[in-house]
Amino acid sequence: MLAYIGKRILQFIPVFIGITLILFFFRAVIPGDPIKLLAGEKAMPDAIYEQIVKANHLDEPLYVQYGYYMNDLLHGDLGTSYQRKTPVIDIFAEKFPYTARLALCAILIEILIGISAGIVSAVKRYSFVDALVTVSTSILISVPVFWLGMLLQMFFGVFLKDATGGAFSLPISGAGGPISSYPTWMHYILPAVALASVSLAYTARVMRSQLLEVLNADYIRTARAKGLSRGAVIVKHALKNAMIPVITFIGIDFGVMMSSAILTETIFNWPGVGYEIFRAIGQRDWPIVMGGVILVVILIMLINLIIDVSYALFDPRIRYGKKAGDE
Amino acid sequence: MNTKEPRIKLDRRTFVKGAAAVGVAALAAPALSGCGVGGGRGGTLRYYINQPACIDPFDLQESEGTAVSANLFDSLTYYDYRAQELVGAAAESWEVSDDATVFTFKLREGALFHNGEPVTAQDFKFSWERMCNPNTADEPSVISYHIDKVVGYDAMLEGTATELVGLKTLDELTFEVTLSEPFADFVYVASHPALGPIPSGGAADDFATFSRAPIGNGPFMMDGTWVDDQYIQVKRFDDYYGEKAKIDGCDFLIFKSPDTAFTEFQAGNLDLSMIANGQIESTKAAYGNSVDGYTANPGAQTLMGAESSTYYFVINLEDKFFASKDVRRAVSLAINRQAICDTIFEGSRTPATGIVPPGIEGYRPDAWPYAKYDIEAARQALADAGFPGGEGLPPIKLSCNSGGGHEEIMQMVQADLAAIGIKAELDSMEWASYLSALQNGNYQIGRLGWIADYPIMDNFLYPLFYTDNGDNRSGYSNKEVDEKIIAARAITDTAERIKLYQEVDDILGEDAVVVPVMYYCHHDVASDRVKNLFYGPNRITALAQAELV
Repeated sequence: MLAYIGKRILQFIPVFIGITLILFFFRAVIPGDPIKLLAGEKAMPDAIYEQIVKANHLDEPLYVQYGYYMNDLLHGDLGTSYQRKTPVIDIFAEKFPYTARLALCAILIEILIGISAGIVSAVKRYSFVDALVTVSTSILISVPVFWLGMLLQMFFGVFLKDATGGAFSLPISGAGGPISSYPTWMHYILPAVALASVSLAYTARVMRSQLLEVLNADYIRTARAKGLSRGAVIVKHALKNAMIPVITFIGIDFGVMMSSAILTETIFNWPGVGYEIFRAIGQRDWPIVMGGVILVVILIMLINLIIDVSYALFDPRIRYGKKAGDE
Repeated sequence: MNTKEPRIKLDRRTFVKGAAAVGVAALAAPALSGCGVGGGRGGTLRYYINQPACIDPFDLQESEGTAVSANLFDSLTYYDYRAQELVGAAAESWEVSDDATVFTFKLREGALFHNGEPVTAQDFKFSWERMCNPNTADEPSVISYHIDKVVGYDAMLEGTATELVGLKTLDELTFEVTLSEPFADFVYVASHPALGPIPSGGAADDFATFSRAPIGNGPFMMDGTWVDDQYIQVKRFDDYYGEKAKIDGCDFLIFKSPDTAFTEFQAGNLDLSMIANGQIESTKAAYGNSVDGYTANPGAQTLMGAESSTYYFVINLEDKFFASKDVRRAVSLAINRQAICDTIFEGSRTPATGIVPPGIEGYRPDAWPYAKYDIEAARQALADAGFPGGEGLPPIKLSCNSGGGHEEIMQMVQADLAAIGIKAELDSMEWASYLSALQNGNYQIGRLGWIADYPIMDNFLYPLFYTDNGDNRSGYSNKEVDEKIIAARAITDTAERIKLYQEVDDILGEDAVVVPVMYYCHHDVASDRVKNLFYGPNRITALAQAELV
């Protein structure tokens, strides 16, 4: 197993180099001068422009710029934001924890509600509960996140506050802190629900279809014939096999949430990574774009590794690091 | 300060709400312990901004950072938009030499920085030099153009000098500025918050730390550091030399979306917010209109006053068709500005009748004869240009950046131009690409906005129309205009100076160099606990004057 993990980590290196090359290629071909953008609609005096260009080595050929970037990167320096004049590593050190906590909350909701709904729906196939799950997941998939988010804000933040004379409401936006009169944990509720909504529906559907497939398998019939209770068959035999695609989906989803929760971050004013990268692309703030993408890629590779390793826990037939026939 | 007890009127609705509240509170008591109902702290105003680019005077360039910094720093002078006059701020008086090149400011005695150090002439010299010193930060400031006429600016920027020789400290409280060429309006330039003083005693040595929590001399001081993408808190500076602020402090809450901010406002959690799209009329009805459009008081909370900024179309004069002033006049006359303002912006912008907006000294309504909607006159102008009914004129390109309603504006302009026979194509792109297209001259008609740094005509006429200026994006060059602008800059008598600027404005209007389309207006709303909050045409609120009831 350790050899397998080591091998996978070594595979990070070419991916990592590939990503930096792709990003540099985009940087070269996408129009827009990042330095002139610093002055907004106003013109920047030539003398100042030249100084900033020089300070960022933007007057050098692209391969030289790449050399500077990789040298800094290997020394743990992701550069300094053009717009914010702040080291990129500091920007993401501040934002990643917010993103990670929100993504974890959303994943938790996705696991608890999505998987439970999928199981109940599969076990009680064609029942009222099954129909309810099918309809509600269809609705959740169809509803745009920004619309759902705004609806949640209006209901829990404005309507409920008004209806209870101010006794109860949920925070509409922000991540808490001294400016908020709500406990910080309450700030996670609405954005986590909005972020989890679509994924939750997909999780329920994947869980349902996988479980239904497994429940029709021969070994399940055998288990039942052995006299095992229905609950034991589902939990011990069916669920373990049905979980692998669900784990894959949730793992990928976690990676997406860590990098692309732009709408949720915008509506709920969440100080996260996705919006920061999105904003930086518009401003051609390449150090942030590159630093952010590199960090996200590393994170996704790590998540994928964890998912692959976790397969072995659910399916005893999967053993890493051993050739077929070793056992 | 919020010292007044709220008066509760007990009617059926209140009773039902109260009963419901008690019920819900009883059920949810464990979960709600320590939980408030939203809203701010006592005496603290909650103010909507977007993420600022910078709040340090070093690079103070846009309205969000300036909204904060203007309350942390007092510059030498201050333009009072209410009284429409320039008054002393950190300087109690000043003198201007007859040739408008030497300005001597006498600073107030006893003024302190937030760290307790006295404010001296040396601090102004230090902060202005800090702005054009290439070694202050990793990169130079992009806004040192404010002081580019100070003697020694170029040498300092190039790194061949270590000080601005045009800045002298005659004594501890006397600051002398010498310009390389006359500029009588420099006293207005000196009012910009970016030219506020920074303590020279070492507090700003660590640029990164200082720029997140700057120490100034204004009525408010930082309360902690700027929390990126979340908030900036300021509190009253009790040792301020002038009239102390009436509120305890202000939380500037940083939003990504104005819609979210408006929802927070509706929930009672914000005291000043931008109004969300499509909600202007209902907001006016619910919260009442401010009497002057700038001052918020309970019941008169919707702020719709004109801002000192103009939305205009820049025309590429290199284009062979637009070299003809008749074609430019035709385009300008064909645009139904009122329809754009009403349809797209719910009346939150007003039709522009010149490049200089209201609120600027010397502004005149209907200043430009062709900045109006007159379709017959537009057809005539087109015919005069040799293109009757648009015949012989190839389709023109209307360029803009996407979002912000720009595409919708261009679509309406497209229809307006079609009405006089000009075919137009929309060329929309994202912001960075659009700016590149403008900079490279790859456009025929584009859109731009110009926000005044200072409330003077020069701030529109010189940057936008003086030959070879970077912001003169149409490439306009007129010797008479250049000479008159330079002559006006040397006139120390304000009325005389404005008169000459107006002559320049008349020439530009006749030439229809650009197409003024709209003046920006506020579309903001204050809560009913705010009193005497003046949100100026420059999008700055002097928070020290505001009260919370």
